[in-house]
Amino acid sequence: MKKNDSDELIIANRQIAFQHQEKENRAAELIIANKELVFQNEEKENRAAELVIANKELIFQNEEKEKRAQELIIANKELAFQNKEKEKRAQELIIANRELKNAEDDIRKLNDELEQKVIQRTAQLESVNKELESFSYSVSHDLRAPIRAINGYTRILVEDYSDKIDSDGIKILQSIINNSKKMGELIDDLLAFSKLGRKQVTLSEIDMTGLLQLIREELSFEDYENVPEFKIGILPNAKGDKSLIKQVWINLISNAVKYSKHKVKTNIEIGAYKKNNLVIYYVKDGGAGFDMQYYDKLFGVFQRLHSQEEFEGTGIGLAIVQKIVNRHNGTVWAESTLNEGSCFYFSLLSVNH
Amino acid sequence: MSYHNVEILFVEDSTDDAALTIRALKKSGFTNKLHHVINGAEALDFIYCKGDYTSRSDQDFPKLILLDLKMPKVSGLQVLEKIKSDPVLKFIPIVMLTSSNESPDIEKCFELGANSYIVKPVDSDNFFNAVKEIGLYWMVLNQPPQ
Repeated sequence: MKKNDSDELIIANRQIAFQHQEKENRAAELIIANKELVFQNEEKENRAAELVIANKELIFQNEEKEKRAQELIIANKELAFQNKEKEKRAQELIIANRELKNAEDDIRKLNDELEQKVIQRTAQLESVNKELESFSYSVSHDLRAPIRAINGYTRILVEDYSDKIDSDGIKILQSIINNSKKMGELIDDLLAFSKLGRKQVTLSEIDMTGLLQLIREELSFEDYENVPEFKIGILPNAKGDKSLIKQVWINLISNAVKYSKHKVKTNIEIGAYKKNNLVIYYVKDGGAGFDMQYYDKLFGVFQRLHSQEEFEGTGIGLAIVQKIVNRHNGTVWAESTLNEGSCFYFSLLSVNH
Repeated sequence: MSYHNVEILFVEDSTDDAALTIRALKKSGFTNKLHHVINGAEALDFIYCKGDYTSRSDQDFPKLILLDLKMPKVSGLQVLEKIKSDPVLKFIPIVMLTSSNESPDIEKCFELGANSYIVKPVDSDNFFNAVKEIGLYWMVLNQPPQ
């Protein structure tokens, strides 16, 4: 026993020592594990604290999200409303567009109608104009015959019955003759004037110097008390209807001579100057002139600024001048000082244009 | 009334114009036999010896026809056209004596062969002179084919 027992004891001791060691090891391990646990606990606490914070954050974020969601709902509602409005506006625009198109169609229709009306009116005007022309023609034409009869029969009375009518009676008959003659002249002038409106204007280059030469030869003033003296400047050529422009010159020159007849001398200046694409011609006299305040009557048909006793005439000459110049798209105007003279101007297109 | 040896055929519908023209001719010394008809139809009857003029010789031509333009029934233009398109009658001088100084009328008359175109002046002096000149020119100066 002894040996065995001690062996056993040694073994047992050794075992105990080992166990002890083991226990100590385990204790140390436990301590480490405890420390670890403590650390882990701390960590957990930290994490828990963090989680609390994170939770708070999340709660806050959730709240924010909810707020945003609320806002979004509101915004959505607004958008929906706006969309509706837009749709409404779009509908309105479509309607407005349709209306606009209708209005456009209406305008186009009205325009077409207007154009049609203008064409119609123009045609009407033209036909009325023609009617008026033929009316004025036939009136003046038909009036000539009775006036011729009045004039002619009165003359027969004067010539064949003068032994039965006293001198006062003859004077009265003479007045009838003069007046019917005057009426005949008025009618002839009216005829000439109405004919002008119908006459075709044929434009060509007019040799103005040559034309004036011709007119000077045709218009003879030699049996006049004061024979007119003419001073004719350089006259550039212009575009016009020669026979009509000749009439313009004749009327203006005859007027210049006529209204100078009470002066001692008759000096007439004829000239021209260029302005842009126009040639402006003028006839200047030192005659009776006229008061510029009656200027607007100057070119009227049968308008006169002087009495028949002062200067004879029917008052058609300048009306004809104006009508002719206007038919050439030109202008006619005048300047005058009473008792000092007048200057009449008219413009025509120059040949270079 | 005798229609023989009529030298002037005067076609005029206006009594007044006719009276004044005839007087002016007489006063100017034209005693030539004149016959006055009052419209174109009668003028053609005279020329062609029809109607009231069947007794007239168709070998007897007037020396001059004074022809008004605007007349009822047959107008002066129609008379002019008829006579001037007749190979025998076309040599008779025809003077248009009218109130119209319208270019188309004047052109038409000359186109149809009128020998002259005179617008009746309103003033009696001018009228008298015009008629006198017509008489002088066509009855005295003018030499028609024999």
